[in-house]
Amino acid sequence: MNKRVLPGFGLSLGVTLVYLSLLILLPLSGLVFKSSSLSLTQFWDIASGERALASYRVTFGASLLAALINALFGLIVAWMLVRYPFPGKRLVDSLVDLPFALPTAVAGITLATLYAGNGWIGRHLEPLGLKVAFTPLGIVVALTFISLPFVVRTLQPVIEDIEPEIEEAAASLGASRLHTFTRVLFPAIFPALLTGFTLAFSRAIGEYGSVIFIAGNMPLISEITPLLIISKLEQYDVVGATALACVMLAISFLLLLGVNAIQWWAANRHQGDHQGPERASQ
Amino acid sequence: MSIEICGVGKRFGNFVALDNIDLHIPTGELVALLGPSGCGKTTLLRIIAGMESADSGNVKFAGAEATHLHARERKVGFVFQHYALFRHMTVFENVAFGLRVKAKTERPSEAEIRRRVMDLLKLVQLDWLAERYPSQLSGGQRQRIALARALAVEPKVLLLDEPFGALDTKVRKELRRWLRRLHDEMHISSVFVTHDQEEALEVADRVVVMNHGRIEQIGTPDEVYSNPASPFVYQFLGNVNVFHSRVHGNWADVGRDGVDKMDNTAPEGQAMAFVRPHDIDIEHVQVAGGLEAMVQDVHAIGPLVRVELAHASELIEVELTRERATVLNLVKGQCVWLKPRQVKVFKVAETALEEGGSGI
Repeated sequence: MNKRVLPGFGLSLGVTLVYLSLLILLPLSGLVFKSSSLSLTQFWDIASGERALASYRVTFGASLLAALINALFGLIVAWMLVRYPFPGKRLVDSLVDLPFALPTAVAGITLATLYAGNGWIGRHLEPLGLKVAFTPLGIVVALTFISLPFVVRTLQPVIEDIEPEIEEAAASLGASRLHTFTRVLFPAIFPALLTGFTLAFSRAIGEYGSVIFIAGNMPLISEITPLLIISKLEQYDVVGATALACVMLAISFLLLLGVNAIQWWAANRHQGDHQGPERASQ
Repeated sequence: MSIEICGVGKRFGNFVALDNIDLHIPTGELVALLGPSGCGKTTLLRIIAGMESADSGNVKFAGAEATHLHARERKVGFVFQHYALFRHMTVFENVAFGLRVKAKTERPSEAEIRRRVMDLLKLVQLDWLAERYPSQLSGGQRQRIALARALAVEPKVLLLDEPFGALDTKVRKELRRWLRRLHDEMHISSVFVTHDQEEALEVADRVVVMNHGRIEQIGTPDEVYSNPASPFVYQFLGNVNVFHSRVHGNWADVGRDGVDKMDNTAPEGQAMAFVRPHDIDIEHVQVAGGLEAMVQDVHAIGPLVRVELAHASELIEVELTRERATVLNLVKGQCVWLKPRQVKVFKVAETALEEGGSGI
């Protein structure tokens, strides 16, 4: 093997592999191993039970909705924070990180109190026929709260990277604001938006703490899969819990793989199909 | 299309970027805005383009009021120093952008767009790069694409902001000759901003020298170089030796300050004399009106020989041809006589100079 200019490849590869194996691969394979004590029909019965299917719908549906909401509003927040100076900007900027730091249970309790029928917000929504707390809608609210920073923090550096000249160039070529956004700015932001969306989505799928306080946890209606797993564990049904966990794992993995593929496509479609950059000196 | 700028002023906070600028750019001319950084030249260009709004004054295009038109309504082509190409579009799409965003009624057909873009790419000699992305091009290629993109909307005015500033010397020289040819073919009014006096003198029909938000001089490259209107222009366009002197009638007694103080000359007699290094002769024998100096150093630089001489503790630079230097055969420490061939004298009042001089 050739001598490398950057030393330490072997060492860092070793550390990386051991670390990832210990932290991720080992527990996950333990999970799969545990569930393999079930026969295939048993596994299928647990995984496709009525309650389980409903919980998948709630978990993935609410997460998708939350990630979509954040993709839209996170984009606006990130744009605002990068592009416009305003008083209190730093404060707003640090507020964005709050969901990262706050214990999720605290967030859950606070949101549940706010959106309950007698809460500050719930009080005004209830007469409109909108029940948030203890319904699937409440789950969406909680998931939106905890996954917001992922979109904003992913987008900020990318928006900062867009030179103002790009917009000026578009304007001098006669493009309207709408055209400038749809044809020039959005395509530049899109790959990062997808990344932020993916992160928010995966974070939401894994969320437990904040959801259980606001969801109401009614089987078949507002019960998320992580809660179902916990309740199985509480009944000492460890195998049943691991079966559900395996299903979550598989679906999450496939989803992430899919979104990553889209992301890869979005990031690379503008690099051209030619064999690397040929910098012909003109 | 001609451009008329009347009394344009612009401040950024306390900083006066432009101070009451009047400028007329006739149709079809290639004009250079030349000046040191911070002199307001880019601000002026951006005001013409509608990317910056003037605090006062008017901008007129072909006699029609354009001061409050938005950039997208001005029909100007703008080329940025750092290209500002759309990274996610191919070269073809970059050039086609201006045509594609036109309102439906004005938008050419797809075939027409294709034809016009390919024509433009041929004009900038890069039609073979149509399907590439900007990241795959060299700096010079990117700037030519940016130019083709600006020309696609058939602008009446082409504005270039330090278009070659980010390129290396060789590419820069090629591109500015090419820009000159292109301008002669297209015949649209063009204004380009530069801080490189060689670039301005070589390419432009007219040079506008700016300093501190004001226009110092407007003239052909030859006029501003051989007949500078102010000490600043003298110093900015090439090397110069500055002599403090007293003016007696029509001739300047060239000598460093404090030579003959007994003359009770009025303060308005105080003046400075400017002499270009290549406008000084060196003689071995005393000449009338000459100045005695001692040779300090002799460097041969390409086709020229640069001689540094000391006169009353001040340094004087002289440039000689190689032939002349061979004839003189100067050695360090030798005493010689200097005789300026061409001197320009400015009164001291006008000579609020700063370190603006740049070498050729």
